[in-house]
This record gives sequence, structure tokens and C-alpha cells, in this order.
Amino acid sequence: MANLTLSGTTKIFDDGGEDIVAVNDLDLDIEDGEFVVLVGPSGCGKSTTLRMVAGLDTPTSGTISIGDEPIQNKRPQERDIAMVFQSYALYPHMTVRENMSFGLEESTDMDDDEIRETVEDAAETLGITELLDRKPGALSGGQQQRVALGRAIVRNPEVFLLDEPLSNLDAKLRAQMRTELQQLQNDLGVTTVYVTHDQTEAMTMGDRIAILDGGELQQLGTPMQCYHEPANVFVAGFLGEPAMNFFNLERDGDLLVSDAFRYELPSEIATAVDGKTDVTLGVRPESVEITDEVDESEHNLIPATVDVVEPHGDENAVHLRLGDSDQANLTVMVDGMRYLASGQDVGVRFPPDAIHLFDGATGEALHNRELTNVEQVEEIGTAQSA
Amino acid sequence: MSKATRPADGSFADVLPELDYWKIGLSLVITFFFAFFLAPIWTGIVTSFKTSGAVTATTPLTPPLGDGFTVEKWARAIDHLSTGFINSLIMTIPSTIATVFLGSTAAYGLTLVDWGKRAQFAVLILFLVGIFIPYQAVLVPLSDFWINIVPLAEVLAPVWELSFMEYAHARLLSLTITHIVYGIPLCMLLFRGYYLTLSDELVEAAKIDGASITTIYRRVVLPLSKPMVGVVFIYQFTAIWNEFLFSLTLIGSSSSPAATVTLVLSGLGTDLSGIDFGLRMAGALFAALPTLIIYAFFAEEFAQGLAAEN
Repeated sequence: MANLTLSGTTKIFDDGGEDIVAVNDLDLDIEDGEFVVLVGPSGCGKSTTLRMVAGLDTPTSGTISIGDEPIQNKRPQERDIAMVFQSYALYPHMTVRENMSFGLEESTDMDDDEIRETVEDAAETLGITELLDRKPGALSGGQQQRVALGRAIVRNPEVFLLDEPLSNLDAKLRAQMRTELQQLQNDLGVTTVYVTHDQTEAMTMGDRIAILDGGELQQLGTPMQCYHEPANVFVAGFLGEPAMNFFNLERDGDLLVSDAFRYELPSEIATAVDGKTDVTLGVRPESVEITDEVDESEHNLIPATVDVVEPHGDENAVHLRLGDSDQANLTVMVDGMRYLASGQDVGVRFPPDAIHLFDGATGEALHNRELTNVEQVEEIGTAQSA
Repeated sequence: MSKATRPADGSFADVLPELDYWKIGLSLVITFFFAFFLAPIWTGIVTSFKTSGAVTATTPLTPPLGDGFTVEKWARAIDHLSTGFINSLIMTIPSTIATVFLGSTAAYGLTLVDWGKRAQFAVLILFLVGIFIPYQAVLVPLSDFWINIVPLAEVLAPVWELSFMEYAHARLLSLTITHIVYGIPLCMLLFRGYYLTLSDELVEAAKIDGASITTIYRRVVLPLSKPMVGVVFIYQFTAIWNEFLFSLTLIGSSSSPAATVTLVLSGLGTDLSGIDFGLRMAGALFAALPTLIIYAFFAEEFAQGLAAEN
């Protein structure tokens, strides 16, 4: 087991004389046994990062080390890593057993008996013993996924790399495999880097998540830190489903003003936006309160009209139009039992302790929501990673 | 009168099955082409079993009857062609295997191994040029090459001391090598098309599993090429077996101990007294047997390969 360190790692692709920066000056320090999820939209550089760690791409500059040993110039087979590919990349002409033995035959001195034993142990861990003599073509997607995992774990690598391994599974199986993968990683205690574009996978699986966009690291932290204390607008909008509501507002003293509404900041929060004129207000759908009564006199109560209600069962996603805008621009999650009709006039309240404020120009976070105290976030974070 | 016959007409039409003119037309066309393609083969087969008298006395399509039937032509054809037949096998089998192997390794190196896209493209262009060099243009340089630049017969002088080898067999070897060289570009192109469809992740997975470039080829790429190997093998075997121009140029005479079957066949059954059609037909059919057998052997791979290519 070992920690994985990327420092100043940069990858520039040459596309017909035009340089494309896929990963820009990435610093990541992944601890021994940690499960880190690289997440971001397509083209954010997360797969390239993983491929550089695997040795399938060479970094243009910067170093990658496992333990204290730089590996960026080593060949993949010398790096003591194992990788699970999005397409699983099982060898179609080999049985499951042969697929899992291949790496051991090629990269270790184990004799046939040892290999058979190791493969059978791994197969038992993953519950695929009865599939060992079948070929990949005869397996379902979920079974192929397990074989791909099996092929990686038999190698007993220092670092485990997973490239969107669940994206080819149906929703139900994906949720199940998510839990299984986590358990497996916990049992094995292998340092793991997991790439996904799915924020749910990132939130639920990672000890820490690294959010990338445009080849740059946006934030690295526990899922709870990233969720409640996003470093910028991108992170805030990327994590959470439905996404955080954003409003571009102009600041006028303690007052934030837009065409649709005005919002008065409590003075202790207002200090955070001192000197800024353009401010983005962010508020999570589950934090917004809806009142049936529209009391015009109430402080910071914004009149709104219900546009569409999406029942999710346990809760409803309510899309509202604020003020007299003609499009739904606010999403609120309410209890599944709460009845709201389309067209109904309501009032919405953004609780001051649940709002996020970002710099309108740079997108950087100026103020994040208040949890009772900072330790709470830390606590949530450490509880998750334990 | 007409009124009285009408009901009878109607009932008659009901009895007949419904005629589908499209199907009738299709059947006729199929039958025509079936006969069109089969007639020459049929003619060849029946002629090969006829005595010379029966060949002139009967029409080509009638089978040999009674006294007109003989297997003597086949016996003579096999007797005449056996040396050429063996020479052709000695030349075709190694050159086909070598071409298929070299073609697929070349394609592997140009598609799935990463050593610089531009260099790969430059080499690919050379291969493509190789496909389009006309045979006629290289005949003179080719024979010059094998006689003056690489005189195999002299290089391999000690070999001719062996009892079953003859000096002329050096030419068979030069012919084999020529076929290999000439076959590689097209085989490479066929394999390349197939390898481009293989997923990169498969090769990458093997790399991470610790396999070297040669191991990836041997254990992953080659086993997956099976359908394409079938296609290329049939194609290459048939082309080399039936080839005449290089044989004529490099071996020269149908009486040479190294003469290939096509070379011997060209002179079979012709002498001053005229053409022995029966003998020629028997010889042609005998010479075509290996290609038919190869088709039968690789038919499944061939079909798979064609399906994979499209």
C-alpha cells in the first residue's frame, strides 16, 4: 500500500499544431488506503489524469509518485497499478479464469498453482466462482463488471484505478455495485482513484472528491466539505441533484437586487461581500422554504408562482417562477406529502444561514452556508472517511 | 354466349394458386444464372472423362456414355502435373503463411502500437504504394535481382548436393520470397482495417496487465484476428497458387524440375497433333483442387471475417 502524489502534473495534447491543455498544473495528494473520486464534466481532464497515473499517457510536465518513488517515466507494468476500464476491456477469446490469470502470468513469477489459488480466492470474494469457465460474451453487464474488478484485484496492486466502471450498468445495478465497490475497497484497503462524471457516485463513494473543470482542480475535500463549503460556483453547481439555484444580483449596500426580487443580507454576512458589486447568490433546493401565504410585509419573502411539480415519491421537486419572470428559475425540494398545484401563488424564503455568496466576476465563494460550526463539517467529513 | 361462360372462368381461376409474377421472374433469373455459371464447370468435368473420340463426336454438354467414358485423361493429367503440383504446394503454403503472419504483424505495428503517428503514416503510404505497383513493371528488375544481385542458386550451392534437391529449386525459393514480398502490402491493409475496429482499451488493459508488445500480439491480437486470418489465408493462397506471370519469369520453362502447376498446365495437352481437350480439362480441374479444399476448410472463418469487415 502506498500514497499517490501528483505534483504540477500537466498534459498538453498537440492537435495539429494547436495545443490543447487537458490537465493544467494538477496537485493531488492521495493518502494510503484512501478512496478518491475524480469528478467533473466530460473533457475536464479526469480521464487523462487517470491515464497518466496508469502510464497510458505521459505527462508533459510535473511528477507522479507512488510512495516516494516517481513513476511518470515508468512503463505501465512497472507501476504496480491495476485499472478497470469503462468498457471493461475483457479479452473476449479467453475464459473468465484466463482473463484473471493473464496479468499474474505476465507480471509475476507465480507458478500455475499459486495463480489458480489467487484467481479462485478473488472470484470467491466477488461471487463469480461459477463463471470462471465462461467467456465474457456469455456474461451479463454486471457479471462482466465483476470480472473486470476481479482481474484488477488479483494483481494486489499498490493503487487501484477505476475509469467510470459503473457507467454501463442500469440504474439499479449501479446503486448496488456502488455499495459493493466501497465495501471491497474498504476490505482491501487499497489506495483507489475513481473517475466518474456522476456526482452521485462521487458524493456517495469517495473519502475525498477532487472536482475538476477545464483541466484544473476546483476543489479537493470530503464530499460534505465540497457540498456545504464549495470553493466556487462551479463546484456548488456541479454537486447536488437537483442543482443549486443561482441568481446573479447587484449589491446595493446590504441589499441584493435583481429584476425579479430583492434580498437583504444580514449585516454579518454583508461584510463578506464588501467591495463587490456583482454577486451570485446560491441556495440549495432543499434549503428554500415555501409558504402558502404571501405576506407582502414579511421581510425577505419573495412572491413566486408554481410552474411544474415533479413528484419523486418521498419528496417533490417544485419549479417556481420568481416575481414576473416567464421561466421557471427556482427549484425547491419539498416533502412528498406537501400538495402544491401548478399556477399556485406562494412565497419563498431563503434562510440567511443557508445561502452561499459567490463573486459575480470570478465565481469564487465569498460566503458559504453556516452549519452550527466548522467542526461539524470536519466531523461529517472524518466520519465518512473512517 | 359470353354470359354463359363467365361463371366457369371464375371457378377455374379459383382453383389455380395465386400467381406471384415477381417470384416467377426471380426464379427464372436464378435458374438462368445457375445454369450460366454451372455450364462451363459441367462441360469441364464431362469433357475430362471423355475419350478424344467422344470429345469430337459429342456436344460439350453431354456426359460420356459407354465407350466414350475414360479415366485415362485424369491418370495422365495427375501423372504430368504431380511434380508441378508438389512444387506449387512447396511454394504456396510457406509463402501464404509468411504473408499472413507478416501482414498481420505489420498491421499491428501500424495500428495498435504507439510509436509516432507521423512515422506510422509514412510507412503506411509506402505499403499503399506497394499495392499499386503493376506486375508487368517489375518483371525485368525482378529477374535481374534474382540472377545478378541475389543469385540464390550460388548462395545456396551446398544445398544442391542433397539428393532430392536440384539446382533449379533455387528459383522456386526466389519465387516464394517474391510472393511473400508482393503479398504483404494488401494483407497488411486487410488486417489494418480489422485492427482499427478492435478497442484500444483491450490493448491498454493488456499493457497494464504487464504484457509486452510481442505478448500482446501473440496472446491478445492474434487470437482475435482468427476471422481475418481466414479471409487473408484463402485470398492469398488462391492468388499465389493461381499466379502465372512470376512463375514464368523466374522459372521460365514448364519442363524445369521447379516448374509450378500453373506453368506445367499451360503446356499440358498441346502438341503438334492438336489440343487434347480431355487432358486439359482433367489437368485444370486437378490443379484447382487445393483452392477448393482451402475454401471448404476456412469457409466459416471466411464468412466471419467478411461479416466483421463490414
